[in-house]
Amino acid sequence: MMGVIEGTIVWSNIIVLLALGLTMTYITTAVPNFAQASFAVVGSYIALTLLRFIGLDPYLSIPLTFIIGGLIGISTYYIALKPLIKRKASIEMLMIATLAWDLILFGIIGAYSEILGSLTKRTETLFVFTNLDFEVYGLPGRLIVSTMLVLLTIIGLYLLLYKTKFGIALRASMENPSLAEAMGINVENTRLFSWFISGSLACMAGSILPYLQEIVPQTGYFLIVSIFAASIVGGLYHIAGALIGGYIIGVSESLFTYLLSMFFGPGVLVYGKVISLIIMIIAILIIPRGVTGSILWRRLEKWLNL
Amino acid sequence: MEEVGKMVELISLILFFFGLYMIVSLSLNLEFGYGGIPNFGKALSVLTGAIIVGGILNRLLIWYFGVSGDFISASSIACYKLTEIIIQNPLVGLGIFLITVAMAMIAGAIVGALSILPSAKLREDYLGVTLLAISEVVFFITYYDVRIIGGYYGISAPDILAFIPGEYKIYAYTVLAIVTGLIIYLFLERLLNSPYGRVLRGHRENEDLIKAFGRDIMKLRIKTVALGSALASIAGVIYVFYSSNVTGNAFTRVEWTFYPFLILLLGGKGNNKGVVLGALLFVLIRILIEFYKFDIKELLHLPFEAVWIQYIFFGILALLVLCYRPEGLLKEKPIYTPPIKSKLQN
Repeated sequence: MMGVIEGTIVWSNIIVLLALGLTMTYITTAVPNFAQASFAVVGSYIALTLLRFIGLDPYLSIPLTFIIGGLIGISTYYIALKPLIKRKASIEMLMIATLAWDLILFGIIGAYSEILGSLTKRTETLFVFTNLDFEVYGLPGRLIVSTMLVLLTIIGLYLLLYKTKFGIALRASMENPSLAEAMGINVENTRLFSWFISGSLACMAGSILPYLQEIVPQTGYFLIVSIFAASIVGGLYHIAGALIGGYIIGVSESLFTYLLSMFFGPGVLVYGKVISLIIMIIAILIIPRGVTGSILWRRLEKWLNL
Repeated sequence: MEEVGKMVELISLILFFFGLYMIVSLSLNLEFGYGGIPNFGKALSVLTGAIIVGGILNRLLIWYFGVSGDFISASSIACYKLTEIIIQNPLVGLGIFLITVAMAMIAGAIVGALSILPSAKLREDYLGVTLLAISEVVFFITYYDVRIIGGYYGISAPDILAFIPGEYKIYAYTVLAIVTGLIIYLFLERLLNSPYGRVLRGHRENEDLIKAFGRDIMKLRIKTVALGSALASIAGVIYVFYSSNVTGNAFTRVEWTFYPFLILLLGGKGNNKGVVLGALLFVLIRILIEFYKFDIKELLHLPFEAVWIQYIFFGILALLVLCYRPEGLLKEKPIYTPPIKSKLQN
C-alpha cells in the first residue's frame, strides 16, 4: 500500500510539472502543444547520457536538463510556431505544426537512442533508473525530489509572477495580450518565457520519470493523454489549473488502476488512461473552462483575496 | 529478370498504399478540408476497421466453426478453415469481404458520430485534443489488452483472396485498394458538389452564418464525421486483409492521423484532386525510403535505423509546407454551380 501511495504522488508530481508547461504555453500562445510529452522523453535521454558518459547521478543532472529543456522549448516556438503565427495561420494549422514537431523530436529521440546504444555497447532503447534511487528514512528519493521540484516550481513561479515587475507584465500579457501590448509590454518576451519554462519543467519531469517506469522512445505516447487531461480538467486558462488537474488526474489514474489490478490482476495498467479520458470528457461537458474556470473557484479566489 | 520482378513488386506496393492513403485522406478531406473539423483522431476510424476484422469477424468465425481454445490460437485455426473454403469457392471470399466492409462502415459511422458529440460545446482546439485523446486511448487498449484483437501478439485474419495464387495476390490487393479508392473519390466528388458540400464549406468558414440560415450545425457535424469515419474504416479492413494479420501497433497516430494530415497539406485541402496527388507523392517517398532502408543506412553510414530519418523528414516536410505552401500543390477551387456558370457565360 505504501508503494502505491508513493507511486501515486510521484506520478502526480510528474504530471503536474508537465501540465504546468502545457497550460503556460496555451495561455501565452493559444496552442495546445502536442509535443509536450516528447519534451519529457528528451529530458530522460539527457539524464541517461550524462549518467553513461560522466557518471552523473540523474538527480544532479536536473539543473542541466532544466536549461537544455528550456532551449528545446524556445526552439519549438521559434522554429515550429512563430513563422506560422506571423503568417496568421489558423489554430488547426498550429496544432498540426506541434504534431509535426512532436514527430521530429520522436525521430531524433529514436535515432539518438540507437546512437547512444552503439557508443555504450548496450541497449539504450529501454532503460530505468529505479535501481539507482536513494532512500531517506524509508522514503524513496524520487518521492522527495519530485515533491521538492513541484514545491520549488510553485514558489518560484509565485514569486516571479506576483512579486516582480516582470511578473506583473507577464500576467498582464497573459490575461489580455492586446491591451498589454498597448501599454508597452513586449508580449513576445512572455511567449519566450513561457516556452522556456514549459520545456525546462517537462525535461526536469523527464529526468525523474525513469525512476518510476521504463523509458522507451515511445514513452511520449503514454504520457500525452494524462497531460492533456490534467491541463483541461484544471483549466487551460489558469496556471493553478495545472496543479489541481495534475493531482486529480495523477491520483485517480494510479488509484483506479491499483483497484482494478486488485480485482483483475496486473495487465490492466493501460485502463488507467481510460479513467483520465473519462474525467477529461466529463470535465469538458460540465465545466468547459476547467476547475479554475468554474464559478466556485472564482468565489474561492475572492474569499482567499488573491 | 530478378530486378524487373523487384521493380514490379515495388510499384505494386506503392500503388497499394496509395489506394489506402487515398481512402483515408479523402475521408479526412471531407471532415477537415471541407468541414473544418480538426479530426486528430483519424487513426481511430482506421483502427475500427481492424477491430471489426480481428475482434468481430474472427469471433464469428470461431463460433461458426466451433473452434475451442484461447482466442489467438483459435482464430488462426478458424481463419485457416475459412481460407480452405475460399480456395474452393471464391464467392465466399468476396462475400466475406463485402460483409466485413459493411460492418466496418456501420461501426465506423457509430464511432465517428459518438466521438464528435462533445464538440457541441467545444472550440476547435479543445475538440482536436479530445479526438486525439480518444483515439490514443483506444489504440492503447487494443495494443496492451491482448483479448480484444490480439494486441502486441497480433492475430491472424482470413485470406479473402485465397483463390488467387500466392505470387499474384499482392497485385489483386493493389487492384482492390485502388478501385475502392477510386469509387470513394468519385462518390465524394459527387457528394461534395451538392448543397451538402456547399453547406459544409460554409460551416468551415463561418458556423454562425450556417446557423443563421437555419441549418443544425450538430447534425451537419455528426453526419460528416460519421461518413468520414465509415469511409476510413474501409481502409483498415483492406489493410488487415492484405497483411493477413492484425497487429495493434500498425494503427498509430503517426501512420493514420499525422500522415493523412500531411497528405492534405501537401496536396491541397478542400480539393480532392489535390489530395489524391498528395497521397501519391507521400506514398512514393515513404515506400521508397522503406524499400531502400538498408541501402540508405549503408550509404549514409547511419548508426541507427532509417525509419527515424523518415519521421524527422516527414515532420520537417510538414512544417515547410505549413509555412511556405499552406494551400498545397493544388489550390481549392471556387464552386461553379449551374446558375453561377450561366451567369459567368453571359
